[in-house]
Amino acid sequence: MSASPDRPAVGDAIAPLERTITLTDMVAYAGATWDWHRLHYDPEYAAAKGLPGPIVDGQVFGAYLVEMLQDGLGPDCFVQTLDFSFRNLMFAGETIRCEGEVVAVDDADPTAPTVDVTMTVTILGVGGADDRYAVKPASARVLLGRTDGTGRP
Amino acid sequence: MGLLTDEIRALVGTRRVYTAPEAFGAAAGRYFGLAIGDDNPLYSDPEFARSHGLAGVTLPPTLVCETNQYAALPADAEGYAGHTWGLELPGTRQVRGGNRYVFGRRIRPDDVVTATWEITDATEKTNRAGADMLVVGSRVTYTNQDGEFLAENEETLIFISLGGAA
Repeated sequence: MSASPDRPAVGDAIAPLERTITLTDMVAYAGATWDWHRLHYDPEYAAAKGLPGPIVDGQVFGAYLVEMLQDGLGPDCFVQTLDFSFRNLMFAGETIRCEGEVVAVDDADPTAPTVDVTMTVTILGVGGADDRYAVKPASARVLLGRTDGTGRP
Repeated sequence: MGLLTDEIRALVGTRRVYTAPEAFGAAAGRYFGLAIGDDNPLYSDPEFARSHGLAGVTLPPTLVCETNQYAALPADAEGYAGHTWGLELPGTRQVRGGNRYVFGRRIRPDDVVTATWEITDATEKTNRAGADMLVVGSRVTYTNQDGEFLAENEETLIFISLGGAA
């Protein structure tokens, strides 16, 4: 199933988002967030710590999950809450797939319906097969028709 | 057990407050969108944003929770220039548990962010492998120059004993 921007239903899948995160992307992200920790861009530093490469900053997964929700549910939605738990490290050059499923819809108030979504971020291995979770579980509550939120929930 | 010392327990309730030296700025949001490959025009096209009821471009929602922009701190020896609690627990390794974000409204370019960090709890546990852990929770609340609530970020830091079975 695919999610409709107008009226998602329980069981609808959110269109997945796949992204390969290169070292260049990680350098750009470090600059955009003012987070220049060497673990996120310095291969020699990472190797000295016994790691196979620079580590993707885990908080970026929140940004990808919001991007998936915004793209899937449309520009007039507002992500009100987002929870995510880290499972495994991700390294430069690896690919993730973000996935989500609508698990609840509350449209008792037709002016402010809400959608609850559960999500995962999976790191892909050889041939695009699932290798390990980067994020699980993750969940979000999304407001529909409230592009700019409602203030403090 | 023994990771939850009186010194750690006494840190619960500790606060640090940072106010950004300038407004967030539209370019910061546009650059973040470029960096993560998110081309949503809500972050870069004022006409598109206005057509969806916004006053103009806004910043990608999670940026306020991810950036160190407001802190104006010098980079440490590892290059990190954001808030830390400076917790050093010998004989442990530190991992991040996760985050919970709550958003009140979209961040606007003219928002001047104040971030208020607080240690909310410290709990001793044992993981599945039998290793002792200390779980430290903190919360940061983001407001603007008018005291408006923008967002909240609850984080979990986990210190795992290297002397256990982990």
